[in-house]
Amino acid sequence: MNATTTTLTNAQRIELFRTLVRAMALDRLMMHLIRTGRLVGFYHEGGVALAPGVAAGFFLTREDILLPHYRAHGLAHMLSKRVDVKLYIAEHLGRSGGCCQGRSSFHASFPADHVFGSSGNIGSNFPLSVGYGFAAKRKGLGQSVMNCSGDGSYGSGRSHEAMLMCANWKLPVVFWCEANGMAQHSSMKQLFPGPNISALAGGFGIPAHIVDGQDLFACAEVAQLALAHVRAGRGPIFVECRTLRAQEHSVGGLNNEGITPRDPALMRCWREQRDPERLAGARLLEAGVLKESELSELHTAADREAEALAAACEALPKALPSIDELQSGVYS
Amino acid sequence: MTVKELTLCEAIREAYREEMRRDERVFLLGTSIQAPTFPHTKGLAEEFGEDRVLDTPIAEPAMTGCAMGAAQEGLRPIVDYMYAGFAYCAASEAFLQVGQYHFIHGSQHPLPMVMVGTCGVGRRVANEHSTLPYGTLIHHPGIKVCMPSTAYDAKGLMKAAIRDDNPVFFLWHTSMMMHKSAVPDEEYLVPLGSADIKRAGTDLTILASGFQVGNALKVAEKLSSTLSIEVIDPRSFEPFDRDTLLKSLEKTNRLVIVDEDFERGGFAAEVSAQVMEHGYDLLDAPVKRVCHPHFPVPGGYIDAYTMPTPERIEAAVRAVMGS
Repeated sequence: MNATTTTLTNAQRIELFRTLVRAMALDRLMMHLIRTGRLVGFYHEGGVALAPGVAAGFFLTREDILLPHYRAHGLAHMLSKRVDVKLYIAEHLGRSGGCCQGRSSFHASFPADHVFGSSGNIGSNFPLSVGYGFAAKRKGLGQSVMNCSGDGSYGSGRSHEAMLMCANWKLPVVFWCEANGMAQHSSMKQLFPGPNISALAGGFGIPAHIVDGQDLFACAEVAQLALAHVRAGRGPIFVECRTLRAQEHSVGGLNNEGITPRDPALMRCWREQRDPERLAGARLLEAGVLKESELSELHTAADREAEALAAACEALPKALPSIDELQSGVYS
Repeated sequence: MTVKELTLCEAIREAYREEMRRDERVFLLGTSIQAPTFPHTKGLAEEFGEDRVLDTPIAEPAMTGCAMGAAQEGLRPIVDYMYAGFAYCAASEAFLQVGQYHFIHGSQHPLPMVMVGTCGVGRRVANEHSTLPYGTLIHHPGIKVCMPSTAYDAKGLMKAAIRDDNPVFFLWHTSMMMHKSAVPDEEYLVPLGSADIKRAGTDLTILASGFQVGNALKVAEKLSSTLSIEVIDPRSFEPFDRDTLLKSLEKTNRLVIVDEDFERGGFAAEVSAQVMEHGYDLLDAPVKRVCHPHFPVPGGYIDAYTMPTPERIEAAVRAVMGS
């Protein structure tokens, strides 16, 4: 997309940027919590790959259904959809009052916000997106589905089943692919024979767009376009956001191209030169949309928010329910 | 009360019809259910439309997830796998997600959905078209599982399953497709978790489900001059009505469990353990199981005698009676 033909208002660009700053501050907080042994379970760092998530959630209504990407465990997507992530952080800390009552460690569930959950199994989002899309179409209330996952998830046959069914039934589903070129510790170069993962969509007659996943505003414009497409009843659409994984899959894991470790210098270079926050911030300064002081205020506010959330969540009691309580939670 | 004779499949169809007329949110999806392989969905697409009786691609994971997602968004799906063994293609969805999503996500949002599949040995079609998944299903918390042995129970259980706010796997035995029994016109439900005494007796209890209820009844009849056998159909495996079984054992003190599924780690083993834990003092003899042996269900002419037969059940009864 050409930045000069932007459809975004300045207010939207500031809000998108503010959300990205907040998401990245919370991502750093989560990394701090896991490195200091306070976070229970996994954390999969978002790093410099959070712009697509912010864009994906930004134009969703509360009724639109979101399947967040697992990177940063959906923080960017949910913040952007205006979900109160406090209970999500509490969940990661195993606290009572966490969004899943402290039972899940890393799953998101905010049914009132139409974020129903997540699975520990890559590719599980795809079958669910068919059901959300079908329900949306059947109910006819104008809901859309934002189905976010990485390029590695398209190795699961369920992605093909879902694209087939969504295309066949013309369901309002955005296949939002945050393609970072990696699947766990393997490079997509080893796993996928073509240059673009979005080429898969063509086989199902689903239109596809490729966008620079480090460019927050370009991602947002494509998200707007994709949602307009599905909201107009034109069936599913595929968006490939080309982003970067400048760190390991999960804390303490590997980061390999084949059996060779990825070049740390290259990843450092990505973190310095392709950081979406810096790129977007520079654009806003350059265009005179934000002043240097306003930009630094946004950063300060985001850091304060992260600190306050951590303190509030850590003050909650650990979730240690009785066996009877747990047993009674199996059925509704 | 008006009563009519229906086949088991017709009874399931009546349950679908009544519940779909009653509740707009109920819909069916599955592989070839519009022009169906089995008669239980015959004519439903014509009545309710092709957008409420949906043929899906042969894609079990997406079918299952579609039902889950639609249920979360307020619909009440019924997903039909044709053969229950085909649901194993969606193993993660079926065993780890459908029943566990609610709990793992803080018990905030139930999944009112029904999974349907036929199963059963003795059709000469080998393992994948025969396998009975209830033992595997009940090992995984969160899914209710039932299987009828009469048309009456089929209709009542299906209606209860559709109205339940939790996921239910409704199994039916392929050999019972044309099995007829009396079904009243009046509305009724068969609650999940209620066993039924199919024949009262005082000397020995046989617990059997689906097609095996008929075999158990044959044995009870054959031995009736010398032995009073009580036949209990659990009707649902989860929840399991242990009380009815223990009450029966208070009278009979002897138990044979007939289970067409594999013997190892199955429903019969589970019931045996529960009886030992909760009713050990009631037993005058060890519990005996009659199951499919621990090799894959064969096809050809073979499975007719690898499944529990009246002869094998009778032998087990005699062993438990010491006669």
